[in-house]
This record gives sequence, structure tokens and C-alpha cells, in this order.
Amino acid sequence: MSRIVVFIALRQLWDRKLLNGIAVLGVALGVLVLIAINGIMQGFQVKFLDNILRISPHVTIFDKQLRPEASILTRYEDTFVAAKVAHESPSDRQLRIARPTEIVRAAEQMSGVQAAAASLVGSAVLVLGSKQYPVDLRGIDPAKQDQVTPLSAYLVEGSYRTFSAASDGIILGSGVASRLGANLGDVIVCGSGTGDRLNLKVVGFFDAGIPPVDNSRVYVKLRNAQVLLGKPDVVGRIELRLADTDSAPRVSDSVERMFGYDAESWQETNSNFLGIFAMQNTIISFVVGAILAVGGFGILAIQIMIVLQKTRDIAILRSVGFHRNDILVGFLLQGAIIALVGAAIGDLVGHYVVLALSHLKTHQEGLVKSEYFLVRDDPRFYWYGAAFALTVGLIASMIPALRGSRVEPVDVLRGQLG
Amino acid sequence: MLEVRDLCRELGAMRNRVLDEVALEIRAGEFVSITGFSGSGKSTLLYLLGALDRPSSGIVKLDGIDISLLDDDARATLRNEKLGFVFQFHFLLPEFNVLENVMIPMLRRGKRSRSECQRRASEVLESVGLGELLARRPHQLSGGQQQRASIARAVANDPRIVLADEPTGNLDSKSGLAVMQVFEHLVRAQGLTVVMVTHERTFAARTSRQLEMQDGRIIADIDQRDD
Ligand SMILES: Nc1ncnc2c1ncn2[C@@H]1O[C@H](COP(=O)(O)OP(=O)(O)O)[C@@H](O)[C@H]1O
Ligand SMILES: [Mg+2]
Repeated sequence: MSRIVVFIALRQLWDRKLLNGIAVLGVALGVLVLIAINGIMQGFQVKFLDNILRISPHVTIFDKQLRPEASILTRYEDTFVAAKVAHESPSDRQLRIARPTEIVRAAEQMSGVQAAAASLVGSAVLVLGSKQYPVDLRGIDPAKQDQVTPLSAYLVEGSYRTFSAASDGIILGSGVASRLGANLGDVIVCGSGTGDRLNLKVVGFFDAGIPPVDNSRVYVKLRNAQVLLGKPDVVGRIELRLADTDSAPRVSDSVERMFGYDAESWQETNSNFLGIFAMQNTIISFVVGAILAVGGFGILAIQIMIVLQKTRDIAILRSVGFHRNDILVGFLLQGAIIALVGAAIGDLVGHYVVLALSHLKTHQEGLVKSEYFLVRDDPRFYWYGAAFALTVGLIASMIPALRGSRVEPVDVLRGQLG
Repeated sequence: MLEVRDLCRELGAMRNRVLDEVALEIRAGEFVSITGFSGSGKSTLLYLLGALDRPSSGIVKLDGIDISLLDDDARATLRNEKLGFVFQFHFLLPEFNVLENVMIPMLRRGKRSRSECQRRASEVLESVGLGELLARRPHQLSGGQQQRASIARAVANDPRIVLADEPTGNLDSKSGLAVMQVFEHLVRAQGLTVVMVTHERTFAARTSRQLEMQDGRIIADIDQRDD
């Protein structure tokens, strides 16, 4: 690309400031929308996943055997058939993970696994004074569980050390506590339909920032949960924390193969959310793509007009020795410059919009709890914006550029002179 | 220098023979005028001489190179380096001032540095009497001044030959005369070769060689110097 072609392209752009400015604004608007919408969507999604990932295990092993021991009858199948035990159902057997300590120890040895903890999950009802409230009860090993889902980090009141040391402590989700009106030190009566009642002392409140969790979950020691739920010595879950969260599906598969229990990665557990996010992102891509395409059509329309107006000038340039390619490159260059200037403006304004949104106070309490409007200011968006704009600009100016490069000087001259 | 043999050009869907077996040889330093009725094929011949168009058959040789065999890019380069054009409607680029308009073909060629181009352009503009108007945009010039700027552009890049298609056709007689005098000066002082299509009998009479065309043929070729 010779310098004179650049010189001419710049001058021609500058000489049609108004028209090209409109094209620039079209692109800028597209890039602005790309940055703002992505910032808002990603702000929510990233925060949500972040919260989920901090409070949820990366892989959970459940008490469901993948190859349940065969019914006793099948052992005699070869000799004595035609018999079936009526009403044999899985619930006749105790649902549990056998030899949990060994599995925990073995899992901790696996590469990529940072920690493992056994627990028991069930439903219980808490009673404090005249109030009662159904909760999601988690019986845990305090020290180990804290390595898997760092509960102590979410404690807003009370002490995790007390919980570990005391034999009858209970930690309440912040929402549970406010619904019961519980204070630290209160003694809560806790029961389920199946086991014994226990009096437990409130030693802490946690707040994970996820209302569905904070409003329903309580933690007690594993032994207390076993008593409450009437499942002595039973472990119902083993939860794992991984070094790399993306490896969870792979680790989950190998855990299933090694131990023979059903395992689930966090992606699987949250597949409904991840599915919604994926759908949201697809829709956003379409919207942003459409807006950028409109910006592209702006460039296309304006440049087509300019090419038509400038056939005479193109003929002059061709007659004094400019090649077809010089004309082509000249117009593509103008399209690229319009796109890049538009992207720069869109990026700049987009940055301030994102900044302004992030200072916007809201009270958000749905899937994620936040005091501020959640936006994400990811530098990649700015590059995406510029890259998309450039692509759109080049594609849009391709048609005018080709048209311009095909102008035959003799045709123009004959037309002028008759 | 410029040699034409059996040159034919057919135009349009009817394949009208606009040029019919034209033969011509132009030597360096000649000032050639072409006259003839409208539609006799003068412009068509000029476009072929200037490598703007390709012949239907026949040969156009410039310095021994057959123009009709060159591809589009090679013809563009040839136009840039060896030819200069002046058209009836002064074709200057509106976004650039007079000086820049004259510099553009030189800058495209890339033989001279930018400052050399600038010096050469102002020198040539000086010689056509526009030394004071370098920074003006084309629309700020009179028709005659624009035409002289076009001549400066055609001449500045050191062409072998300058082709002019009715350069005075759109000018009042005074401006037309000034343009004619510029050509005469360039031919005399710098040995430039010029082929000029014109309707003005008086201007044609002042050139060193006069061609007359009719129905796509050259019907008269009067060389003053042969006489
Ligand atoms: N595109 C075209 N299609 C058909 N005929 C054309 C075309 N362009 C020019 N002509 C014809 O070619 C002839 C010569 O035109 P031209 O070279 O412009 O003549 P001049 O310059 O001598 O007036 C005219 O009769 C004109 O009608
Ligand atoms: Mg003509």
C-alpha cells in the first residue's frame, strides 16, 4: 500500500466529515451496545458462578451405587429360575456410601483434587419459641468441609472454631436466622420425621450471597445429623474441591469409575443455569451482531453513494496511473478507518457506561445478592468490539471498493464528452 | 516514438467501426493537432494512443512497446510514467489544492521524494502562470486556470507525450488562447510532444502538424516542417 493511497483515502474521508461521521456513529453505537450488554450479562453470570463455585463443591459423590449388587435370586438363575421377589425396591436397602473414610482418603490422593469431605444431607425443621422453619440440613466434618467449601469465610457472625469444638453447635444461613429471629447463643430445637430431636446452640451465621442457599441451609456436625435423621454412621455424600474447576466433569467421570458411586460435577449440578446463560449469550450475540450489521449497512450505503459520486475522480486517478488495486485499497482503508474510529468511540463511551452502571446502587436479591448493579468490565470486550467493527467495516466497504475499482476511465470520459 | 498501424476500434452492441485502419507515426517534439467533425473518432483515437482503451485490432506502439498487449496494471503504470492527459472538462480532484493535484501522479510514481515532487510541481505551475495560486482548491479557480493546472499535472511527471482532448473547448477565447500559448511554450522550450484534438481552426493552424479525421479515418496529414 503506497503512501499516496493512504494520503488520498484520508483526505477523501476528511472532506466528507458529515457523511463519514454518521457511519462512524453507527459503528460506535454497535460497539457501545456490545460492551454494555456483555458487561451487564457477564457481570451477573460471572458473579453468580463465582458465588456458586465458592460455596458449592466442585464434584459431589452421591450415595447411589452405579452397579447395585444383584438381587440374591440372580445367583440361582442358571438352575432355579421363574422366581421374583415381589416389591423389591431400592429403598429396602439403606442408601449410604460404604467405607467413606477410605473413599475420602483415596479421593484426596487423586491428582487435581485438593480436598474431600464426607457429609450427610437431609431435611429438618427448626423450632425457636413459637416459630418453626423447615431447613436443608447439612451434617459435616467441620475441618474437612471448610477445605472443600470454605464456610468459615462466609461466617458473618459467631465463630467457626466454636462450631468445631462444641458438640452441639449449629450454623444458620443468614436468611434462616432472620426468619427464626435467632441470635447467637439461642438454643434451637431441631427435628426430622425419622430421628431423635436435638437441642442445638446457635454458634454462627453465614452469608454466601446466594439467597436460595442463605434462606434454607444450616450446618451441624455429621454425628448430630446422623442422630437427627435416624441414620447412624451413614455418610450420604462426599464432596471434592479441585484445583481446576474446568476439570470437574473429567474428575467426576474417573471418580464414578473408581468408586462405583454416582458423581456429579458442578457444571452438571448447575446445568439449568449454565443452559440459561448459554442461551442468553446466544441471544446477545444475535442482538449485538444485528446492531453491528446495521452499522455495517451504514458504511455500505454511505460508501456506495460516495463511489457513485466519485466515478469521475476515480477515472482521473486511473488515467494518471493508479491501479485498480489502489482504488480498491483506498476504499477498504476508508471503511477500516470508519470502523476503527467508531470502535474507539464505542469503546470509550462503553467504558464510561459500564463504569457508571457499576456505581449504580440497587438492591438486588434474586439468584445473586448485591448492593450495586453488577457489571463486568472485561478488557477483552473492547478488543472484541474493535475486531467485530473492523470485520464489519471491511466486509461493508468491500462492495463499494470493488465497484470503484471496476470503474473504466474511458467509460467515464465518453460519458462526459458525448 | 509513437507508432500506429491498422488500428481499428469497434464500439457498442452494433460493433460500429469508429476507427478504421488508422496508421500514424508521431515523432518526438511534434505538436500535432487533430481536427474533424464531431463523431469522427478523434477522442477514440486519443484514448487508444493514451493506453486508456484497447484496440479491436491493430497496433499502438510507444517507444517500441505494443500497448495493446499490456494488461490493465501495466497500462496504468505506462500512463503514469509516459503519458499526460488534458481533457475538455478540467479533471482536477476537488479535495486537493492545485499543488497537491499536480503532485499526485508524481507521488504515485515514487521516483521523486515528497519535497522534490513539491518543488517540481510549483516550478511547473509557475511556468503555466499559476505560481500564485498553489494553495487554492480547484473550485476557487477560473476555467482557464483549472485547465492550465491540468496541463501542469500532465507535464510535471515528465511524460513522453501529452494528449489533450479539446482543451480549449469549454473556455472563452481569451482563456483558450492562454492555454494554447502554454502548450506552444512547453513544446518550444522543453521539447514536449503534444497531440491535441481541437475544433479551433486558428489553433490547429499554429501547430507543427495537422491531422484531419472523417468517419474514423485520417483524411489529411499536413506536416509544416516537411514542406
Ligand atoms: N459506447 C459507444 N457505443 C457505440 N458507439 C459509440 C460509443 N462511444 C462513442 N461512440 C461513437 O463513436 C464515434 C466516435 O466518437 P468519438 O471518438 O467520441 O468522436 P469525436 O471525439 O471525434 O467527436 C461516434 O460516432 C460515437 O457515436
Ligand atoms: Mg471527442
